[in-house]
Amino acid sequence: MTNINNKTLNKDLRRKIVDMVIEGQDGHIPSAFSILDLITFLYRDILKFNSKNPEWLERDYFILSKGHGCLALYVNLHRHGFITDNDIQMFCKQGGILGEHPDRTKIPGAEASTGSLGHGLSFSVGIALGLKIQGKNNRMITLLGDGECQEGTVWEAANVARNRRLGNLCAIVDWNKSGMTLMPEDDMPKKWAAFGWNVEIIDGHNEKEMAQAFERIEFKNDGIPSVIIANTIKGKGVPFIEGHGKWHHRIPNQEEYKKIMGTLV
Amino acid sequence: MTKSTRQQFADTMLELGKENNDLVVMVGDIGHGSLQPFAKACPGRYYNIGILEPTTVSLGAGLSAVGLCPVIHTIAPFLIERSFEQIKLDFCYHGLAGNIVTVGSAFDYSNLGVTHHCYGDFAMLKTLQNTEICFPASPIEFDQLFKQSYQNNQLTVYRIAGQSHGIEFKSEDIVFGKAICVQEGSDITIVATGSQLRTALDAAEQLLSKKIKAEVIYVHTIRPLDNELIRTSVKKTKKIVVIEEHMRSGGLGDDILRATYDIQDLKFHSISIPDKFVTSYGSYDQLCESCGITPKALIDSTKNWFDG
Repeated sequence: MTNINNKTLNKDLRRKIVDMVIEGQDGHIPSAFSILDLITFLYRDILKFNSKNPEWLERDYFILSKGHGCLALYVNLHRHGFITDNDIQMFCKQGGILGEHPDRTKIPGAEASTGSLGHGLSFSVGIALGLKIQGKNNRMITLLGDGECQEGTVWEAANVARNRRLGNLCAIVDWNKSGMTLMPEDDMPKKWAAFGWNVEIIDGHNEKEMAQAFERIEFKNDGIPSVIIANTIKGKGVPFIEGHGKWHHRIPNQEEYKKIMGTLV
Repeated sequence: MTKSTRQQFADTMLELGKENNDLVVMVGDIGHGSLQPFAKACPGRYYNIGILEPTTVSLGAGLSAVGLCPVIHTIAPFLIERSFEQIKLDFCYHGLAGNIVTVGSAFDYSNLGVTHHCYGDFAMLKTLQNTEICFPASPIEFDQLFKQSYQNNQLTVYRIAGQSHGIEFKSEDIVFGKAICVQEGSDITIVATGSQLRTALDAAEQLLSKKIKAEVIYVHTIRPLDNELIRTSVKKTKKIVVIEEHMRSGGLGDDILRATYDIQDLKFHSISIPDKFVTSYGSYDQLCESCGITPKALIDSTKNWFDG
């Protein structure tokens, strides 16, 4: 297993996420911190998109299947110009477009409305199959939670993707071990390998390892789908909220807020 | 030999697939043989995808998201009841267009038991926005209704009846969203959907021997429902019986009652599947009998409505 590095990336975006939670008085901070480095890397270095024309036909598709980690997506959509300062300020407020799960019908750049776990990969397999039918080279990348992988539809979709040779599809599993609090026997790489997927294992907070994994993935229209098993830390960057526990859906009080922000300097 | 509605489904796919390169058909290991001509004529657009109905629905929504026109086909309980959340979120909430074609609704697969029955599908689907529902019970109805509605930018569900009602309609008589007045009358309105049109006409014939003239209206499109034709008839007759292969709760009868409740002195009766599991085996006709879906039950339900 890859060692998780101690360095905290993207402190500015982490602070923004905490501010959004304070302003909106809702949100899942640790889940967002777990995947923030991955999503930030994807939007900066991997995905093709046009934020001025989110439905650009040549774009790569990204779906955050573990919708409750949405704050990590929102701060990146904001950074790249899909959504505005006002959208961020209106998080979880009446009249805003950002809630606690991404919503395709409201948010420019959100390809699916997720939140009910186990839908995102199946929907993504449909997109990948559709792109293959159309002879297009757009890539499909889907980020799932490790707890989400307890949903049966994830494996239905994994089975189809392998058998239809959807090499244009890459899943990323946020393996922060939260799911193992319920099901301790959870050899995630072995499971995906058993379904015939190409498996990459990385530190989900290490951009060098992310880049190396994406260099190895060919995204062939007719090939084996790939999964990146990302070892991550839920709540990464703020030690006292890390791990599976009470901070999953907790709003910091004033004292806690100061302490979190002090850690993210 | 008369063509089945299921064969018509395969024939219509072949015809449309040749002219529409976006049409993609996915089946759950059913209809595989009859769809081979489509598979050969439309390479890369036919998938016997596997035994995984919820994911098949999500896949269809994904195909729709990139601009393709999905048609998903398998057995009703697995495609509607088991996959309901995928239909609700991935198609309907997203506002994505697509087509679901079911067989084995109600108790068409009578001897396969409760696991293979599906008589609550109208009720479930009617809770969803952006959804239309048809119940074609003859080949020409499927062909016409599908061609008229498959590209309507919504999710459309076609519930193929296992038994045809045996009535020959002309193609120009079949208009999506419009009911058909099969027989005019002035004393009572009988509204039938699916195969039960046959039962309605048998009952109407027997009522005529008692000098009761029944108007028989056939509904092939459950949603949007042709309220206008039904209301016009009921305003005239003040009496209505709805006959259908669906649970009483949430079926066509409920919709018609809601559409006509304000008509003064209205008398209403529903001939439908009681709100409980159908647990007995036997033929389709025997299960109709055990559920009280017969000409006799229909006539008996009206006996206090007429003098003598």
